[in-house]
Amino acid sequence: MIPSIKRMGAIAVRVLKQLRHDHRFVAISLVFPLAIIYFIKVVFDALASPFFDISIYVIPYAAFIVHFITFILTAIVLVRERTAGTLARMFISGYNQIEIISGYLVAYTVLATVQSLMVLLELNLLFELGYGIMVMAEMYLVMWLLSILSMALGMLVSNFARNEGQVFPFIPLVVLSVILSGIILPVEQLPEWSQILSYLTPLYYTNEVLQELIKGKALIDDVTLLLRLPAYGLIILVMVTVTLRERD
Amino acid sequence: MRDRTSIHIQNLHKHFGKVQALKGISLAVDSGQIFGLLGPNGAGKTTLIRLLIGAIQPTSGTLSVLSLNPGKQKSALRQQIGYMPQSPALYEDLSPTDNIRFFGRAHQTGKLTQRVDEVLEFVGLSQRAHDPVYKFSGGMKQRVSLACALVHQPKMLFLDEPTSGIDPKLREAFWGHFRELTSAGVAIVVSTHQMDEALYCDKLAILHEGVLLADDTPSKLLWNSRAKIKIWRGPEVSEHEVTNYPAALPGLLQKEGLDNAISRIEVEEDRLETIVLRMINEQIGEKNKGDRK
Repeated sequence: MIPSIKRMGAIAVRVLKQLRHDHRFVAISLVFPLAIIYFIKVVFDALASPFFDISIYVIPYAAFIVHFITFILTAIVLVRERTAGTLARMFISGYNQIEIISGYLVAYTVLATVQSLMVLLELNLLFELGYGIMVMAEMYLVMWLLSILSMALGMLVSNFARNEGQVFPFIPLVVLSVILSGIILPVEQLPEWSQILSYLTPLYYTNEVLQELIKGKALIDDVTLLLRLPAYGLIILVMVTVTLRERD
Repeated sequence: MRDRTSIHIQNLHKHFGKVQALKGISLAVDSGQIFGLLGPNGAGKTTLIRLLIGAIQPTSGTLSVLSLNPGKQKSALRQQIGYMPQSPALYEDLSPTDNIRFFGRAHQTGKLTQRVDEVLEFVGLSQRAHDPVYKFSGGMKQRVSLACALVHQPKMLFLDEPTSGIDPKLREAFWGHFRELTSAGVAIVVSTHQMDEALYCDKLAILHEGVLLADDTPSKLLWNSRAKIKIWRGPEVSEHEVTNYPAALPGLLQKEGLDNAISRIEVEEDRLETIVLRMINEQIGEKNKGDRK
């Protein structure tokens, strides 16, 4: 069946209506990242040193927090669709894979837009980053893309989980990705065999772009750098579409 | 003459790994008919329904629903069928209106607002149209689920144990709804393991461990069963065991000599439950015999 914009829109509207009623989900998505960033500020203040450039770390850390929370919440919400039988019912009613995935993406992009904006505003406020409006806009774009990409990854994981409990084994992988991505330690300093794994994590590409922006490079000057995250996201979305099956 | 058959199933097999869920089922369902799938848990009722709606593929055999192949013409078929799963499968934080509208949009139903109002009226939930579903009782959720399956005016309805866990009064109302739908020409395939409900069906298929034990009208299944007939002549009573008692009774009375001395005739029919259990036991007996060979 050819994907229909109207049917995709119906899914997006339904998900947004549910978000409007699910205050807990919205609060976790928006408030938790802000609270964690606040405590990172407290820790960094305690470790303050004139030789320590906080911005190199704090923005990628914030990106990781957004990635982690968005990934887990999306995976759980979609597994819940499966366990409640509504996913199977959607298929039987005539919705197809592409409509379901894009409907969810459109609705959650609204949330990602607000989430990324709030995180960057808080970072700027607490850490007095002092970047120009253009750099902040580019950082926002990166954070926004990561947030959408994290949803896609959450969707992918949900396709392999039969219940909420089966999502949790994937959590250590996301935590491990923070080390592999080069946020804490440059990838070159990691064991050679593990460096290949770094290229599989979305945080590696996010950190790569963010570090260039921190150094003062403009995204517009290096389009390939800008395209890495959407390209990664597209590959994940194709995998989500292929693996989303109509099963109990 | 127009073919009134909505479903054709021929020698249908479905295996899940080593488990044989369906073993060579053949049957037909006519339009405007309530067709009951009766059997204990694990009989293969849900598997059969899932095959008919194209949710899973058969291992072998042929099937057609509304002249379409559920495996190959899934999209075309799903525009014409309605499906009500065993659990309500609803968005509980949304209202019945939102749920029905959402599933109606999948079919791109015309005049959707009007249809939503009609199905809400049909299931008697107009007054609660905008309350969140999580506030509803189990029976009310089942009614919302039925409304979702009906919103696009399907030609055929598949209902997987629609009345499980609801009270007898509501159950009767549900069967009333189903009868109204068949009067309008809708064919209904309904699975149940409740014997009393099976009598509401026009035709019954009795399944056990993936085998079709019988496929007939409830009245014929009852007639073809054994009945105990007691004939009193004053204080004396003679007992006879017959099959198909409406046909056997006249002959029996002729043999007995129908005269003024007969003071009372009592017919003790097998109940459907007894018939089904006997069929299942006979099948188990035959299977054990086969295993021993």
